[in-house]
Amino acid sequence: MWTLIVSSLGFGVVLASIIAVAAMGFTVQLGLTNVLNLSYGAVMTVGAFVAYLAVSFKLNAWLAMVLGGLAGSLLTLVLGSGVFKMFARRGAHLFEMVMVTLGLSLIIEYAVQAISRDNIYQFVVLQSSSIVVGPIIISVTQLVLIGVALAIFAALEVLLRLTKLGKALRAMAVDPSLARSCGIRTGQIVTITWLLTGFLCGIAGVIYVINSQSVDYYTGQLFLPLVIAAAILGGVGSPAGAFVAALIMGIVTQVVSALGGSAYSTVAGFGILVVVLLSRPSSVTGTSAGAAQLTL
Amino acid sequence: MRAGSGVGDGGATGGAVGHAQAAGSVAAHPGGEPDERRAPGPAVLSARDLVVHYGGVVAVNGVSLELRAGEVVGLIGPNGAGKSSALAALGGQVRARSGTIELSERRIDRLAPFERARLGLTRTFQSTSEFEGMTVFENLQTAGHGADGGSLTGVVFRGKQNRARAAEVSRLAWDVLDRFEMSATADAYGRELSGGQRRLVEIMRCLMQRPRVLLLDEPMVGVAPHLVDKLVNDLLTIRDDGIALLLVEHALEVVSELCDRVVVMAQGQVICEGLYDDVVEDPDVREAYLG
Amino acid sequence: MGSWSFYISTLVVYFGVDLLSGWSLNLQYGFAGVINFAYIVFQAAGAYIAATVVIGPSGGATSFQQYVFGARLPFPLPLVLAAAAGAAMSLLIGLFSLRRIRRDYQAAIMLIVSLIAIQVVSSDVGLFNGSNGVTGVPRPLYAALHVSTSSWQWVFAAWTLVICAGVYALIQWLSNSSWGHALRAMRDQEDAASAIGLNITALRLQVFVIGGAIAGLSGGLLVEYVGAWSPGAWGYAETFVVFTAIFVGGVGNNRGVAIGVLLVPIIFLEIPRFLPQIGYPGLIDSLQWIAIGAMWLLCLYIRPKGLLPERRPIARREPDPGVAGSLAGPARPGRRIAAVMRGQGR
Repeated sequence: MWTLIVSSLGFGVVLASIIAVAAMGFTVQLGLTNVLNLSYGAVMTVGAFVAYLAVSFKLNAWLAMVLGGLAGSLLTLVLGSGVFKMFARRGAHLFEMVMVTLGLSLIIEYAVQAISRDNIYQFVVLQSSSIVVGPIIISVTQLVLIGVALAIFAALEVLLRLTKLGKALRAMAVDPSLARSCGIRTGQIVTITWLLTGFLCGIAGVIYVINSQSVDYYTGQLFLPLVIAAAILGGVGSPAGAFVAALIMGIVTQVVSALGGSAYSTVAGFGILVVVLLSRPSSVTGTSAGAAQLTL
Repeated sequence: MRAGSGVGDGGATGGAVGHAQAAGSVAAHPGGEPDERRAPGPAVLSARDLVVHYGGVVAVNGVSLELRAGEVVGLIGPNGAGKSSALAALGGQVRARSGTIELSERRIDRLAPFERARLGLTRTFQSTSEFEGMTVFENLQTAGHGADGGSLTGVVFRGKQNRARAAEVSRLAWDVLDRFEMSATADAYGRELSGGQRRLVEIMRCLMQRPRVLLLDEPMVGVAPHLVDKLVNDLLTIRDDGIALLLVEHALEVVSELCDRVVVMAQGQVICEGLYDDVVEDPDVREAYLG
Repeated sequence: MGSWSFYISTLVVYFGVDLLSGWSLNLQYGFAGVINFAYIVFQAAGAYIAATVVIGPSGGATSFQQYVFGARLPFPLPLVLAAAAGAAMSLLIGLFSLRRIRRDYQAAIMLIVSLIAIQVVSSDVGLFNGSNGVTGVPRPLYAALHVSTSSWQWVFAAWTLVICAGVYALIQWLSNSSWGHALRAMRDQEDAASAIGLNITALRLQVFVIGGAIAGLSGGLLVEYVGAWSPGAWGYAETFVVFTAIFVGGVGNNRGVAIGVLLVPIIFLEIPRFLPQIGYPGLIDSLQWIAIGAMWLLCLYIRPKGLLPERRPIARREPDPGVAGSLAGPARPGRRIAAVMRGQGR
């Protein structure tokens, strides 16, 4: 049994990397704008499909990844600065925004279904050999994906801690009106947030399907619970927290899966979040009329 | 305004959690003889050494205060003094880190807000909190039913009692509406009323619970100047019914007119206490406000 | 004629089931402000239980279909158990997701519950036969009544409407009671509702469980009519259709919800059946979902209260003979008599 667990650690870390990229984007988005964007999964799917198309046009895998990210960026910008803003202007409450994002999720998801004719597409790129380290079997591709996740994490941390933009982002996440009165161009920052987190979302979609090797209209939605759980578990607005939480989620889900409960792996991951929330509810309490406001 | 109408018809009615009426509630005629105001009764609400952490900061740092039946105490101080946090701790919206709170000698600091309400502690909120999806009358009805109204088993199994209870709650609601001259607004929604009227709805709603204590968080916010006087008078009549009032307020003219006693807070602590006229002369207080 | 009879009776049953769904969701969202994006899970729980308690014991992994439970209970026990299943599921999920939690997080968690539930049921074949679902649910009382198929369908349709009438009466009674007022207070201003002595957590759980029971009942009815149930029938998007119906028809108004249910799941979703086929087979289904999403957004943007919004009750004062010069206000003849009048036995 131990070999089973150790080998699933390998899978767990791979999965964790994928969750991490998505969760880092989600947590920054939620932390700054306070929009709990349930269409995030659908945007991931779009990113994945764009990469698929790029590859089918014989473009190189890395380029496909970037294109997927850009697609995510663009779509998220349209949603954020367009649709969300429209509703925010009408004085939508936080939970009404969630409903809006869910409606958009429906539209995007089924638009993808319509265009993809509800088919599942094989997505095999970056084929590579496997490396065996003890009971852990991992392919070079997967190692690359882990590397991508780490690189993104590093880049994000550098951005947030060392650059002026990063300081502005952090200031806005804490207190938008104060940030505004300090001269920070909040409108611009929000736009950048959509672009940046959308990019991460798209890339997350791409690396998800690189790993799973197939893509269909429901891909992103399947993944969403773990992403949201990791973002909340790690503390909303903290990419480092999201990264650690993603590791926990990834490993737990894979270990549970290996031990025979593959149907319940997501439940296990989510269960961790539930347990944490029940014991430390402060992160998600407060009434809807409370302190959090939409920053759009 | 109906003379001599205290809140409630005296005598416990079935279902209402028996808040003991303050001893011998006799309503003073508003605008009548101020010298006949009764002296404040026994301590109804007392807090000792309250410490409240809020948003990572120690907002209240060892505050003690006492509230007696039939008196109005003002809690004043510069911005950031911790007044609203102290009020929130008393009301239960925020859990005090340490210290005790007693309502008529019963410890309540571990109780949830709804439990404190059932024992006779009511409050208003800084932004008027009338139930916006219901008419004024429904607001009062809901408060009149209070905890029992929310009891599903009560609704299902006590049909006959419920009918009698509902009639009584309605009568009380009309009484309260008449007393504050708000009968015409019975079928209005909050959004159709002015700020002052909405504040009155909140206060009337509190009265429907026959409370012992009424906490008010900046009640004059959003109230047009010409209504402020009316509201002050209304609050004075509530005091005369024997209810203890504690209000956080910035408008010092209101405080001087309304409050029997004033407690000044600054930086989480009580720096002065006493009659309004004395307190404003206190050098520490002046420094806190200006310095 | 025969196929029209089949079609209309089916529509009536669907209408009834959707009515139950709409009222249940309206109780939770319209009256209590609980955003139950996991609604469909409770309907599914009811359906699965109603199915597995009539098709007899499972043959295990090697047989045609495998599932838990398994019995052959007579009508109407499966429906009762379906309601109980919905209630039990609601209690379970409510206990962890209805705590004092920001409403947007609550909504997200409900959605996630929906997503996870369908993953679990699809993957764990031993539960309810995975993606293939359970089939072969016999028609209740079909043999006993000795009627033709189409007549049975009408009987069942009538039965569904009877249940709807009963549930409607129950819901109206509850929502007009002081408990209903308490729910609305909780919906409007949670802190103030606590401050008047209402136990918010208990109230939320109560409304969730009652709504869940009705949802389970609706699932039981549906599976008894259709004869089979699988994950394809209860994706997270199905909850949407019901929500859209509520938004279109009237939030917090059960009659409005009935109109919404007629317009959205019935009329709107049936129209494509009469259109010529566009594009590839199945395209219309995708387009329908897109349209639902668009309708949803439109409703949220334009008029979130619906066609028949919550009604304003007029309070009437009982003339009090004991007070001289009483300020008894003019009794305005209102279409709806306030609960206080009901309370006085009129």
